[in-house]
Amino acid sequence: MPADAVLQVTDLDVHYGKGRRRAQALDGVSLEVRRGETVGLIGETGSGKSTLARTILGLVPASAGRVVIDGEEVSGYRQRQWRTLRRRGVVQYVFQDPLRSLDPDVTIADSLIEPLLIRGVARGEALVRVRPLLERVRLDEELLARLPGELSGGQRQRVAVARALVTEPALVILDEPVSALDSANRVEVLEILKELRTSGVALVFISHDLGSVAGVADRVAVMYQGRLVETGTTREVITAPQHVYTRLLIGSAPTLRSGAASRADRDALRAALLTA
Amino acid sequence: MVRRILSLRAGRLAAGILSAIALLAIFGPLLAPDNPLGSSSKTLAGPSGQHWLGTDYLGRDVFSRLLDGSRDSVVGAVEVALVALVVGVIPGLLSVYLGRVFEWTSLRLADTLISLPFLVFAVAVTALLGNGITQAMLVVGVLVSPVFFRVSRAATLAVARSQYVEVALISGASVNWIVRRHVWVKVLPAVAVALAQTMGVGFIVVSSLSFLGIGVQPPAPTWGGLLASDLNYLHYQPWAPVAPSVLIMATVWGCNLLADAIRDVSGETGRALINTRKAQANGLGAKRIPVEGRV
Amino acid sequence: MTILSELRTPHAVPTLPDEIVLALRDVRIYDQVNDREIVHGISFELTPGRVVGIVGESGSGKTLTCRAALGILPEHFAISGGSIEITGQEIAGLTPEQWTGLRGSTISAVFQDPASYLNPSIRVGSQIAEVIRVKTGAKRRQARHRALELLAAVHLRNPALVYEQYTFELSGGMLQRVLIAAAIAADPTVLIADEATTALDVTVQAEILDLLADLQERIGLALLVVSHDLAVVAQLCDEVLVMREGEVVEQGPTAEVLHNPKHEYTRMLIAEHEQYGLERYLEAEADRDGGLTRAG
Ligand SMILES: Nc1ncnc2c1ncn2[C@@H]1O[C@H](COP(=O)(O)OP(=O)(O)OP(=O)(O)O)[C@@H](O)[C@H]1O
Ligand SMILES: Nc1ncnc2c1ncn2[C@@H]1O[C@H](COP(=O)(O)OP(=O)(O)OP(=O)(O)O)[C@@H](O)[C@H]1O
Ligand SMILES: [Mg+2]
Ligand SMILES: [Mg+2]
Repeated sequence: MPADAVLQVTDLDVHYGKGRRRAQALDGVSLEVRRGETVGLIGETGSGKSTLARTILGLVPASAGRVVIDGEEVSGYRQRQWRTLRRRGVVQYVFQDPLRSLDPDVTIADSLIEPLLIRGVARGEALVRVRPLLERVRLDEELLARLPGELSGGQRQRVAVARALVTEPALVILDEPVSALDSANRVEVLEILKELRTSGVALVFISHDLGSVAGVADRVAVMYQGRLVETGTTREVITAPQHVYTRLLIGSAPTLRSGAASRADRDALRAALLTA
Repeated sequence: MVRRILSLRAGRLAAGILSAIALLAIFGPLLAPDNPLGSSSKTLAGPSGQHWLGTDYLGRDVFSRLLDGSRDSVVGAVEVALVALVVGVIPGLLSVYLGRVFEWTSLRLADTLISLPFLVFAVAVTALLGNGITQAMLVVGVLVSPVFFRVSRAATLAVARSQYVEVALISGASVNWIVRRHVWVKVLPAVAVALAQTMGVGFIVVSSLSFLGIGVQPPAPTWGGLLASDLNYLHYQPWAPVAPSVLIMATVWGCNLLADAIRDVSGETGRALINTRKAQANGLGAKRIPVEGRV
Repeated sequence: MTILSELRTPHAVPTLPDEIVLALRDVRIYDQVNDREIVHGISFELTPGRVVGIVGESGSGKTLTCRAALGILPEHFAISGGSIEITGQEIAGLTPEQWTGLRGSTISAVFQDPASYLNPSIRVGSQIAEVIRVKTGAKRRQARHRALELLAAVHLRNPALVYEQYTFELSGGMLQRVLIAAAIAADPTVLIADEATTALDVTVQAEILDLLADLQERIGLALLVVSHDLAVVAQLCDEVLVMREGEVVEQGPTAEVLHNPKHEYTRMLIAEHEQYGLERYLEAEADRDGGLTRAG
């Protein structure tokens, strides 16, 4: 394993359900994320993107394969070991819908410092540590006393991002962080993510839309039906896609000046994907 | 929390009513002008200067009996509610977190308690533990505890699957932390409503048990007992049930107001949970507990 | 003539290409409760086979404009100025009966959330057949037959199976197709698609957009496409209107607006795409390819 990898996933299999309802959600997925890099994880609904993220975080058990986080092999970890690892705050997660991932009865300030409080940091100190983060995600200090319901969607998502950063993680997994936002807020959050890259934290940016990832990611991994079908630098994947699904994905992304021929291309790719 | 409740009108009203009832329970027996047990020849008399609320079928002063009975009545009802709370809510919360074995056992136990014949159980336990109000109320409390078990379990389940709990888990939170920080606030309003309802039931149960010689022994008065005997003489004193009814209703109303106030200050989550509980009570499938966010 | 017979003859030339099927002239929409004008004048014309797109930020009045054209403005909203004509008929004086006759068979619509427009406890096929029976007076068997043809026409792979399914058994993209099938069941001349692909995956969105383009080309359906994504609109439309806070800040042929944006807001929408879309990579590539071929 290269010394600078924060995350290494090898041949990961995940199944949901038992007995006859058992269904495979991940099939031999391997992925590596190096320190400070941003990886876009793309794929259609149900392709297993969230499952991969949740397995990395130990929320879903893997049926086979290895996960190494920050040099620590976590496959087969017990609850207690997970808790110790998580308290170090090496990996954090940002959910798609910020309204649901913030407790509606807890103020923004308390939500933000929760990871620190869990670690045993004193409240006063935690509040001091949170201040500089607010600036990084462009949130006003006066929002701290509010409840999540009193914030706009974009503000909430920025709170969620700030909370993920509060433990100074080496890796943040963002699950569709901009899908629920309108375009102005989307750009704002993307800008913040772009700035984060310079601070050395590695990001895994999950999305079903290659377009919103293209501006932020260094590398892109494409998932299709539980398998990782393609990885490469963002430029490689976009300009020279290998897998049929990736080609369809790129052909499908709405662009401002798409050619008239692309419709026939898409039809051909769809047919190819069906027969594959 | 307390300050927020008192800032609501319902909260202040509830506090007023409930403290009046509490004072009645503490000082009532001392204030009784007459001997609540002393009978006289003036049976079934109407209200007068001497007997403010008249006398009953044995010629006892009703006003004194009401005052004297308030302590046993209120203490009994509170005891029922508290026992049910402790025996129901704590396992209800824990059943979500302590793993399969505990979950299975507690669920079966709750089912069993619900199907147990109430009176037989009450007689058996008092025979075993001795006959007194505390023992009797212990029985009642345990028997109604499945209500609390279910309410708190449902509320906990809904919260336990929510994303913000997952976020806390990812930060390494313990079960204890999650319950204190996220679950408790959401369970509280649902429990408060159940508690208010249980208090009402408690009054009636205290008195119906004393009919059977369990718990409060006749002729010692209770509000529920007064109400029951008044109903037998309705023909002679149609106004008689009013006084004990008003006291019982005031207490239950006070509890309900308090429950409402708690619910209102507990935010969106609490409100949604109560509404589903009401829907369940109205017979809309017991299993349809909404998972947070899936509307 | 039914749309399906038309569908079978590709390149069917729409009748009277110059006939205006939907015209909005300086339409203003007023909120009577809050006492304010929400849409400050919007004008465009649709002819058969023509596609007009409206883009704009959330709350700019795009949906209200569509609703006005369909005669289904929410309560306490009213058209306070201008005029709307559907196939030459001024809508101001229409009775509810006339509206019922018009909706579905002349002007029809698809919205963002397909599930909420279908009954979850009735098979989707029966719901389309019902529309056909009501709108064309067809017999039960005929209606079923035509519903199946429509499901095939919107490129659902197994129409017979989908016909028998319920909403919860279908994916978002399939549901949106079902809804489009229902919307075109009575051969409308105008179809309004309000954020019809917003909730869908990118690949599915492209499928639906391709389907709309297909309908427009083959049967001369006039389309009004609403989206907050400039690229979605750009892909389909002949003419684009850019709205902001109820104002049309820019309007013109798509190519013109994209290549020579006049308003700052339009420029911002385009910049967003160039920074965060695929354009940055794809156009660089295209330039390089172009350069190579020229050099060779
Ligand atoms: N808790 C679960 N139990 C059973 N099956 C599940 C569960 N969660 C996900 N699945 C299934 O696993 C597959 C992958 O789901 P996953 O949520 O990882 O997809 P995704 O790529 O994140 O999709 P989306 O873009 O819609 O979020 C899907 O087929 C889904 O139905
Ligand atoms: N039913 C309604 N009741 C009250 N106000 C409404 C209603 N529908 C729309 N509005 C208001 O009218 C304005 C324009 O709304 P409209 O739905 O047309 O916007 P939109 O451009 O479609 O936005 P979006 O992109 O979010 O769909 C908004 O300020 C909105 O709040
Ligand atoms: Mg997902
Ligand atoms: Mg709209």
